[in-house]
Parts: sequence; structure tokens; C-alpha cells
Amino acid sequence: MPAEAAETDAPWVTIVWNDPVNLMSYVTYVFQSYFGYSRAEAEQLMSDVHGKGRAVVSTGSLEEMERDVEAMHGFGLWATFSHDT
Amino acid sequence: MARRFRRTRRGITAGFEPQEAELVAGLLEDVARLLAGPAGAADAPGQDAPLDPAATGEEATLAALARQLDGGPVEAPHDPALARLLPTASDDDDAAAEFRRFAQEGLADRKRSTLLTAAATLRRPAPLLLTDDEARAWLTALTDLRLVLAQRLGLETDDDAALVAMRAAEADEDDPASWTANIYDFLTWLQEGLADVLLGDLPDAGGPPRR
Repeated sequence: MPAEAAETDAPWVTIVWNDPVNLMSYVTYVFQSYFGYSRAEAEQLMSDVHGKGRAVVSTGSLEEMERDVEAMHGFGLWATFSHDT
Repeated sequence: MARRFRRTRRGITAGFEPQEAELVAGLLEDVARLLAGPAGAADAPGQDAPLDPAATGEEATLAALARQLDGGPVEAPHDPALARLLPTASDDDDAAAEFRRFAQEGLADRKRSTLLTAAATLRRPAPLLLTDDEARAWLTALTDLRLVLAQRLGLETDDDAALVAMRAAEADEDDPASWTANIYDFLTWLQEGLADVLLGDLPDAGGPPRR
């Protein structure tokens, strides 16, 4: 996670869920190009989605998470926002 | 046979046989049309009517129809393929409905435009030569097309993906599912090549976020 996301106490998260269609390289591409993650960070998140079934890809306000979820849906990834409890 | 996407000095290119280009363009346009349907872009976003969580089955279908006529809340699309393209954004029903109300129409519009951008490049004289923007449109359009075909093939788990690959390998001309599986396999191969090209363009260290 980027430092600014780790340090904030904003209570909302964007979760990307595994699906059998999206390619590992494509998911890595989306995480890197949209969020600006490094290759290593993007690959780790992709690997969590694939292996654990889901990964938290961003943290912030509800409005920010709605924007991120909409962007993920635009890319064809299945994403949800929820309260980080 | 098609040739894999690759970057050349003039742009990103791939080789398609005329009938392959026609097939892929037609499929991309089909998905764009699907998104223009009643549960997609043409669906009027709703205003105030609350969702009725008690409504089930036929009652829910009638209620959904009534709400569509009233311009009520935008529901999850009934076509499962369309529902995958415009998925539920939250496990909180109210939040999910609110999200659909403000986001779904724009999302469907952008997806249609991306699909039609990709399809239009195949309607140009060969060989296919893409700008970076067109290549990005292609990459996302291939995802949406594969999501729709995967739903039609009943592909729901990682294990199903192996079965679809087997079905594609059977290449039984009389079995429509085998034909669809073959197309799906071909599109997966195409997308792998393009994803490799575009991922290779990104700096390892990461960069400014696009959002």
C-alpha cells in the first residue's frame, strides 16, 4: 500500500474479488496503471486476489472508494466498497 | 491465423485474417448493443422509490418492471452477462442501489464507447495499427467481451476455465458451446499478448496514479 493510504484513518476500502476470466497480467496492469503501484506491489495484490480470493486495493473516504470501484468496474474487474471494520 | 499483438515503431499491431477481424468486430459490437439494452445505458436512473427487500421471485420481477416504468431505482441487470459487466458495488443493498443510480448509466456508456472504438479499428483497412489510446481501449474491450462469453459458457470458477480450454480443444463443429469456447480461447490468447505489451510499457517503480 502507498504510505499515504497506510497512515490515514479513513474507514472505507475498495476490495477486488477473484474471477476466472481476468488474466493475471491484465489485473497487474490495471493495478499499476490506475493506482500507480510499483510492479512488485501490483503483482502482490494480483496474487492475493487470485490466491486468497480478494484483496484490499485502496483505502480512503467513501467518495474516493466509490470512484475507485467505478474505475475497476470500467476495467471489468469485480470490485466492492465497504466499511473497514 | 492471427498474429499476436506486438509493438512496432509505428504503433501496436496485430495480424488478423479478414474473417477473424469481421468476427471479433461483430462480437465487440454485440456487447456494445447488450449495454444499450433496458438494464444498461438506456435505463433511466431512478430517483426516490425505496427498494422492497421483501419482494421475491415473480413479485420482484414485476416490481422491477414497475420501477423501470416509474424511473425508480436502477436494479441489477437481469441478464447475468450484463450483471457481470455492471456488478453490484457493495454488500450493503442501499449503498449498492445508490451506486447504480449515480454510476451505472455512465459506466455502461463508457464501456460501449470503448467497445466501439476497438471494433472501429478492425473496420479500417488492414493491417491493424493502433495508437496507445486505441490499444488501451482494445485491452478493456477484450475483457468485457470475454466476460460475456465466459458467462454464456458457464465459466464461474478457476476449475471451469480448464474445462472451457478442453472444450475448445475438442473443436466440435456441431457443438455451439465448443465453437464459443474456441472463440473465447482465441480472445484470451489475443489479450495475453496485448496485456504483455502494455504492461511492458509501465515503469517497474510505479508512476503517478491515473485516478
